[in-house]
Amino acid sequence: MNWKKIFAVIRREYFERIRTKAFWIGTMLIPLFFFVYIGIQVATSHKTGGERRIAVIDGTGSLYEPLVADLAEREKARQAGPGGSRGIHWVLERRPAPADWNAAKERLRQEVLQKKINGYLIIDPKLLEKDSAEFYSTSVSELVTSNQLERALNHVLLKARIARQGLPANLASELERRLDVKAFKVTEKGTAEEKGAGIFAVVIFTVIMYSTFLMYGMQNLKGVIDEKSNRIVEVIIASVRPTELMMGKILGIGLVGLTQYFIWSFLAMNLSLPGITSRMSSTDMGVPTIPISTIVYFVLFFIFGYFLYASIYTAIGAPFNTDQEAQQLAMIPVMFIVSVWAFFPAILNNPNGGIAVFVSLFPLTSPLGMFLRTSLSEPPVWQIVLCIAILAGTTVGIAWFAGRIYRVGILMYGKKPTIPEILRWARYSPGKAPQPAAPETT
Amino acid sequence: MDTAIDLQNVSKAFGKFKAVDDLSFRVPKGVIFGLLGPNGAGKTTTIRMIMNITAPDSGAISVLGHAMDRETQNRIGYLPEERGLYRKMKVIEHLYFLAAIKEVDRPTARKRIDNWLDRMELRPWLNKKVDELSKGMQQKVQFIATIVHDPEILILDEVFSGLDPINTALVKEYLIDFRSKGKTIVFSTHVLEQAEKLCDQICLVSKSKKILDGELKALKRHFSKGLIHLSIAASEKEVTALPGVVSCQPLNGVFIVKLAADVDRRQFLRQTLDRYDVAAFSDREPELEEIYLSAVQAAGLEETRIIE
Repeated sequence: MNWKKIFAVIRREYFERIRTKAFWIGTMLIPLFFFVYIGIQVATSHKTGGERRIAVIDGTGSLYEPLVADLAEREKARQAGPGGSRGIHWVLERRPAPADWNAAKERLRQEVLQKKINGYLIIDPKLLEKDSAEFYSTSVSELVTSNQLERALNHVLLKARIARQGLPANLASELERRLDVKAFKVTEKGTAEEKGAGIFAVVIFTVIMYSTFLMYGMQNLKGVIDEKSNRIVEVIIASVRPTELMMGKILGIGLVGLTQYFIWSFLAMNLSLPGITSRMSSTDMGVPTIPISTIVYFVLFFIFGYFLYASIYTAIGAPFNTDQEAQQLAMIPVMFIVSVWAFFPAILNNPNGGIAVFVSLFPLTSPLGMFLRTSLSEPPVWQIVLCIAILAGTTVGIAWFAGRIYRVGILMYGKKPTIPEILRWARYSPGKAPQPAAPETT
Repeated sequence: MDTAIDLQNVSKAFGKFKAVDDLSFRVPKGVIFGLLGPNGAGKTTTIRMIMNITAPDSGAISVLGHAMDRETQNRIGYLPEERGLYRKMKVIEHLYFLAAIKEVDRPTARKRIDNWLDRMELRPWLNKKVDELSKGMQQKVQFIATIVHDPEILILDEVFSGLDPINTALVKEYLIDFRSKGKTIVFSTHVLEQAEKLCDQICLVSKSKKILDGELKALKRHFSKGLIHLSIAASEKEVTALPGVVSCQPLNGVFIVKLAADVDRRQFLRQTLDRYDVAAFSDREPELEEIYLSAVQAAGLEETRIIE
């Protein structure tokens, strides 16, 4: 290994890629998509706030006032809370109970369509006996809206029923107090509260790994094929060993990826993160607290995984002259990477089950699989060590194999080689000429 | 003379196909050496083995006195037959990169590149992308890249293929210039005329085997077969009638004369001069093509036309 030469290759790979427009467009587009996504979220979340004008036909005649009072109380409680003034302001309008319910509903329907009201609530005494009421609005899918209304109505109804039985009125809130089951993760260091945001962060990390393996792995394949189709590779091979060229390329492209992540995290820290965390703290999810161990495992499996997949892609690219020829074989690593998604629910449900253990030890899925397991539970140390050992061994093995295929493949032009031919290349004698004194070496 | 490159009984097969079969030759330092033969004769494989890009199955190759190693590789300038450039790179960056992988730092590379830029009329193109250059310009860039590390040996595979006549003449000029600096040049070609004027030494190969090698002048003398070029103010009949003449053939205004084996050439010339006006008298130098064909015949190989 001559690091001076490897460094020259790294330098070329890195700067030539960083200088392309494609790199900067790609780097800027993804945060842009992210901003647009957040923007849409914010825009639609405003909709869940604001005023809701609801017409109410109260067939019982006794539920309307308590409902108005209950909603007002909830709004007051919310304004005092951490979320601030955001949320729905309910404006209820009472409509007299009609003789013809259907005609009344039709009139209200017209009002909604003319946008005079946002929706209407029908409390029909007959329906109420069957434990049901009806809420109509243009967007029934607005879950928050109907949920709040339902909760308030239930509370009011419960109070009424309790009153009817002659029981004390404060019994209602007593009965309504729900049990809050908090999830805790048991680890060897104790217990830690598990928040939804923890899983959210793990998913984001997994997506980053996953897309890096695919995108930058593929860059390696393209780079190798480009050098062949440009007919530059033989000039380089006369100065740099194939393994050095391969190493330099993998490292250079990896650095381009790191640069991209660096830019993204810089943008995230300075532009979007304050917005996101304030939004998150206002929801049930809470600010994601990412344990140091997760970050350490991320870096570890990220590096191993990248080297593994980059070597696989290099080996796949070496025998071929065009992207099209390599396409078929290039699907193989994609299949393995994607398959981890298929196992994701199984790992999530039982991070220490048989499937999870297999996925986290099998080298083509283990970088993602083991990372998921370490962040969802605490797998036995011997499994982590075994996983890393298998992964490291496989990476070295594939890099060796890729190096041999590469050495032969990069000088093969013309017809597309068959897989048996490619396998035979790996057995060719290594590129070291025997000494003149000992002409026979086999 | 010191040896630059030495091949001993080198063989290489790809599967059942023998690409190079028991090839031996020696390239002394400071000469222009031509590795000549038709396409598919094993020239490129031989050169790749010298460059340690592929390994021989058997035999030994030494370069500058020992087996090719990393340090030696840096002292060789190699221009393969399949040569290209990174299309999206700037010319100057490309030259820096190719110098860097020969362990030449940027300032040194810059100095050497500067020397060649004006000579090659490349300076205006320095910051252009390779893509924007004409084919001829790209070939000049490749040539500079081959010599940017000031190599002791130049190994050029089919160096003239694809070059226009002007660039061909330029490259020949550079090669002669290189030799005058004591450097060794090995080049391969399947076009024998290109080697005719340039080579000090040659090795002819055909069908993976060596046919002959050696100093070109000696080979030409050997293959002249006692034939003489005679430019003379006489008719074919008169020349044939001269004492000692076995045969006489007119060719482009001169006569190719074969003398009997026991004839003293000085005496023959003196006698002829007494009778006729002789403008030129010289050993007829056979062309490489002719040498190649007679060597192939002598080697018992079937004739391979060397010119397509």
